Amino acid sequence: METFVQWAAHLGLNYRFLLDAYQRGSLIDGAWTTLLLCVLTIIGSLLAGITLAAMLTSENKALSRPARVFIEVTRNTPTLVQLYCAFLVLNMLLTQAVGAANPLTPFAWVVIVISLHKGAFHAEALRAGIEAVPAVTMEAASSLAFSRRQLLWNVQLPLALRFALPSLVNNLIDLVKMTAVASAIAVGDITYASIMIWTQSDNVLELMILMLSFFGILSFIVNCVGRALEARLRMPGYGH
Amino acid sequence: MVIESLWQWSPALVVGFAQNILISLVAIAIGSLLGLLIGALGLSPLRILRLPARLWVQLFRNAPWLVLIYFTTYVFPFEIHIGSTYLPFPDWLKVTVGLALPASANVAEIFRGAIGSIPGTQWEAARSLAFSRGQLFRSIILPQCFKRMLPPWMNLYAVITMGTALASLVGVHDLIDTAQIASNTVNRTGFTVLIYFSVLALFFAYCYPISRLTQRLERRYAFY
Repeated sequence: METFVQWAAHLGLNYRFLLDAYQRGSLIDGAWTTLLLCVLTIIGSLLAGITLAAMLTSENKALSRPARVFIEVTRNTPTLVQLYCAFLVLNMLLTQAVGAANPLTPFAWVVIVISLHKGAFHAEALRAGIEAVPAVTMEAASSLAFSRRQLLWNVQLPLALRFALPSLVNNLIDLVKMTAVASAIAVGDITYASIMIWTQSDNVLELMILMLSFFGILSFIVNCVGRALEARLRMPGYGH
Repeated sequence: MVIESLWQWSPALVVGFAQNILISLVAIAIGSLLGLLIGALGLSPLRILRLPARLWVQLFRNAPWLVLIYFTTYVFPFEIHIGSTYLPFPDWLKVTVGLALPASANVAEIFRGAIGSIPGTQWEAARSLAFSRGQLFRSIILPQCFKRMLPPWMNLYAVITMGTALASLVGVHDLIDTAQIASNTVNRTGFTVLIYFSVLALFFAYCYPISRLTQRLERRYAFY
């Protein structure tokens, strides 16, 4: 660590905060928080996306219309505003209703908002995937006396997932980057920890390099997992 | 009562939103020019020109926008010294640059995608008619590209407009900042609910038509 700080100092970069146990601790905590946030929102967004996609493709208008409205509103408004609407408005109403017993922390709100936000994008990708399943495949399967349920689980969804996978992975990379907005409502993620450090020691550039590499590594990991999944699920005759 | 205060605050909200729109327009303008330049560099047959372009695109597409906005806000000076005059470099302009960087990387990718989507036969046909490389681009490839680039470019514009919401976090006096001031000043539950949802509604009213138009254009250009 010391040698790295000295080596960086030669380049004119001030990484001395890494030697300070408190500042280093807060940065590491921030990195863990971001990581946890990513994992929880990835799971949450996939669940939300599947639910919304199921509602979207349903024949029942009472299910598909609200899902469509929700998706259009989510896709056409800034995440930050949604976060404020949730955290500053809904959270306030909730606190007024139940008092100090409000179970939702800022962290929980970020998970909920980003999950629903990216869930809307996932739902669109999954819907496109479901619609991309060729009609003849479905007809062939139903002519083989597959029941409706079997048709859905054994034919339509496996194919739809494969068609949707590249855009799902794309959404997830976007999601990783999006978790930085958590700092706006004082969730102690890596962005917030960095702001706290640079307001004290005026080393924005150094922290920026650190943060960009951190997010770069995270999105690289998501990308690799996505590629591996695509390769594993690949079927002869579909995709390339 | 609550509606009345919203009416009182509405001019301030409109001014705030105008700031957002100004940022988004300047950002997309700078981003498009820079992006086309970088996209063109990325197509160059020379490796030494292609490499920086790829690097630029990778760097600015993979960085969170918020981090880039913090970067431009805190690293750039607050005034620029040209000759003997000092030009002020206000925060909103820094945010604009912060948004223009990822915009340029995305425009470069859109450009690359559009070039890639032109069928190989078009190139071959043009070459067989003895078009030079410059002529080929100017009169055959680029005119087809711009049509294909329009829908994703508009989509990018909508995304950038939504990205301008982040400006409030670095102290630019925009729509969300105005809403926060208003909600703290009036300090009534009903008003807070109303003002944040009007912010949501304003952004929706601006971005939704753009996204509808994009879908229409996509459908129209889909077959040919």
